[in-house]
Amino acid sequence: MSEPSPTQHPTAQHPTAQQPVTGVIHDIGYRRYTGPRDGDARIAFSLYVTALKHAYGLGRSGRSKVLPFLLLGLTLLPAVIMVGVVAMFGFDEQVRTYAAYTNTVQVLVSIFAASQAPTIFSRDLRSRSIVLYLARPLSARTSALVRWAALATACLIFILAPQLVLYVGGLLSRLDAGDETLSFLKALPLDLLLAAMLASITGLIASMALRRGFAVVGSILAVLVVSTALSAVQAIAAEFDSPRTGEISGLFSPWALVNGLASVMDAGVEVITPPQGAVMVSAYVLAALLMAALPVLALVARFRKAGR
Amino acid sequence: MAEIVLEKVSRWFGNVVAVNDVSMRIGPGVTGLLGPNGAGKTTLMAMMSGFLAPSAGEVLLDGAPVWRNTEAYRQLGLVPEREISFGYLTGRQFVRANAELQGLSDPGAATEKALERVELVEPSGRRIDTYSKGMRQRVKIAAALVHEPGVMLLDEPFNGVDPRQRMQLMALLHDMGETGHTILFSSHILEEVERLARHIEVVVSGRHAASGDFGAIRRLMTDRPVQYFLRSDDDRALAVALVAEPSVRAVRFVDSGGLDVEVADLGTFVHGLPVWARAGDISLIEVSPSDESLESVFSYLVAR
Amino acid sequence: MNTTIARLALAALLGRKRFILLLLFPVALIGLSVLVRVLTSDAEVALGILFGLGLLVILPLLALVSATAVMGPEVDDGSLVYLLAKPVSRHSVAFSKYVVALAAVLLLGPLPMLVTGFAIGSGDQDLVLAGSVSATLGAIAYTSLFLALSTVWKHAVVVGLLFVLLWEGTLAAIFSGVAWLSIGQWAARIGATIDADWADDAVPLWWAVGALFVVGIGGVWFSGDRLRSFSLKGDD
Repeated sequence: MSEPSPTQHPTAQHPTAQQPVTGVIHDIGYRRYTGPRDGDARIAFSLYVTALKHAYGLGRSGRSKVLPFLLLGLTLLPAVIMVGVVAMFGFDEQVRTYAAYTNTVQVLVSIFAASQAPTIFSRDLRSRSIVLYLARPLSARTSALVRWAALATACLIFILAPQLVLYVGGLLSRLDAGDETLSFLKALPLDLLLAAMLASITGLIASMALRRGFAVVGSILAVLVVSTALSAVQAIAAEFDSPRTGEISGLFSPWALVNGLASVMDAGVEVITPPQGAVMVSAYVLAALLMAALPVLALVARFRKAGR
Repeated sequence: MAEIVLEKVSRWFGNVVAVNDVSMRIGPGVTGLLGPNGAGKTTLMAMMSGFLAPSAGEVLLDGAPVWRNTEAYRQLGLVPEREISFGYLTGRQFVRANAELQGLSDPGAATEKALERVELVEPSGRRIDTYSKGMRQRVKIAAALVHEPGVMLLDEPFNGVDPRQRMQLMALLHDMGETGHTILFSSHILEEVERLARHIEVVVSGRHAASGDFGAIRRLMTDRPVQYFLRSDDDRALAVALVAEPSVRAVRFVDSGGLDVEVADLGTFVHGLPVWARAGDISLIEVSPSDESLESVFSYLVAR
Repeated sequence: MNTTIARLALAALLGRKRFILLLLFPVALIGLSVLVRVLTSDAEVALGILFGLGLLVILPLLALVSATAVMGPEVDDGSLVYLLAKPVSRHSVAFSKYVVALAAVLLLGPLPMLVTGFAIGSGDQDLVLAGSVSATLGAIAYTSLFLALSTVWKHAVVVGLLFVLLWEGTLAAIFSGVAWLSIGQWAARIGATIDADWADDAVPLWWAVGALFVVGIGGVWFSGDRLRSFSLKGDD
């Protein structure tokens, strides 16, 4: 290695004959970066992509890939079987509609959201390395929103993947393309809404309960157990001829909301007490939007606090 | 007098060999386990403390294998590198729990004694998650020595500890070594080991590279130039005589007087030096090896 | 049984927010059952909610949270070595943790179910008893199984959830053969000896008893065995 030539640090006093040299910082080639820098949008985008990949274990260790892909495999399996059944026996329609399929695998979708939310939300909050992100250059608000968007996208991909298999399989089996496309398009806004709600709820819980296990169980409690309990309530309400109670109880669970709206849209989902009347339907829409939006506000507040 | 013996110990993970055919004996006193990061120090420590089965060979504590032998822990105190996650306990509660688990007859008294030894009496009522890194390290040590084990194993005990606390810990370990305990601590920082342990075990890439007093190890490495510092009543004349010798590679004058000499062939030099001095009628005032520091030993072994 | 280990496990279980999560389970279950009872004034429906939801969802989740809370974090970050570097048999370490987790589950699951059942039921004591016995037996086996899981896998919670919700919940409803390998079904089968209306006999009684016995004992024993081989993994 060639000896680097000693040069004076810019801020150091230039030594003279009278002044003894007390120290010198060698120029070993470090340079300031003076070129163009990416803006916030670009930084936010790369955080988004990284978080999205991490939700599926991509760019992480092999062990972190096992779980998301196991779940993805499990949710695709019935779709593949259904496509095979349709093709083999020459059915003229899908075994399940797109919206109904998602409802069928709600356990898997919920577990996916619950188990992957902590990878996006709690790891750096727990280790307090979050402060490094928030010191600069992204604001706490943007950072929280971007992570939420990544989780919502991950959930959406998880929901859409088997639907796409069904759709493509259906078209290849020569099902009526117009019917299939219509049914698929009906499911799409519901999928979006569901992904947003799941990301909001599980993301907020993951950012609060930092232990992974507790975050997962807490999310399952909020998403799935509540939904199971509420469908029991709906069943009882229908039995006792008080469907209004069932309709109102549906306002408190993401699955009940999505399924209720699906039945209104005639997307092929059976609901015991579907929302009746314009008021109740708009209440469902409003509740779903609130369920997606309110936790996001709480998330932003959480990140603001953590960044301080 | 407890002794840890490793006999032809190897450990592999899949097809990565972490520890390769290591035999060593660690007796009373302070021993430094030295090696660069990733050399297998933690793997060795884990096997010595019974938290990893050797793939081949045996790890014995006073003649009994350590693996799956919970009785061994009566003689063994372990300070792992890991952070403790018992943040919800106070320092005293944590040490006391360790004392109880050791089945001591008076865990309360043992706890106080251990806390005193690591100078942690005053903050011991606080929860561990409020502790600084140095305090956590000390509470771990207190927990490990609460039952006064004959053998203490410490994995990177000085990591993240500030200099003042480091001095305290070193004094503590030194005292324990003096009183007949077997202390083994691992480190990749030479200055620490050099200050605390004359006896070292060096591992490099999973292999036992050297063992013993580090000055002695240094002298064994004759195929590498050795630095000597000489002072005499006539340095220039001595320099002239030395430069003529093939066993000497370089001579340099030191500003404050004396010579730095780089020696290629140690044996010839050591025997020849008095002869050459007498021939030139030069009196030698000081002859000292100037690089017997652990640093040079270490960089030599690692580079080999 | 080692009281020090048990005390530490209890501290880990009751630590701050965690207990709130545990408490949520019985509170939600009781609240819902009582609500249904009041709204429908039909004891049978309310009991159906109490034991249906309780045994299928609440009890296994409760066991999952307790079992992983006493074992999981310490296995995860390696601080279990402090408990294991002691002259204490590792089976006893596992057993002590199990006892604490099980006590929490029994206290928050079967016990409130029994009390609530009697409070809202209308004299059908056999049904309440059958449900509570099933819940107790289920708790013993679930806690043991999840304790064993948490010594094996970092993602024990998610694996446990898959088992409870997918295997015992969804698949058992589709394939009746799943009952042979379902803790909930075994427990219900034994409960049915008290009240025949309580559950159908999808599996023979001897199988239910034997399987519960094997899982209950085997899980704890297996956990202890895993701890005997507990290895400290360094960064190098």
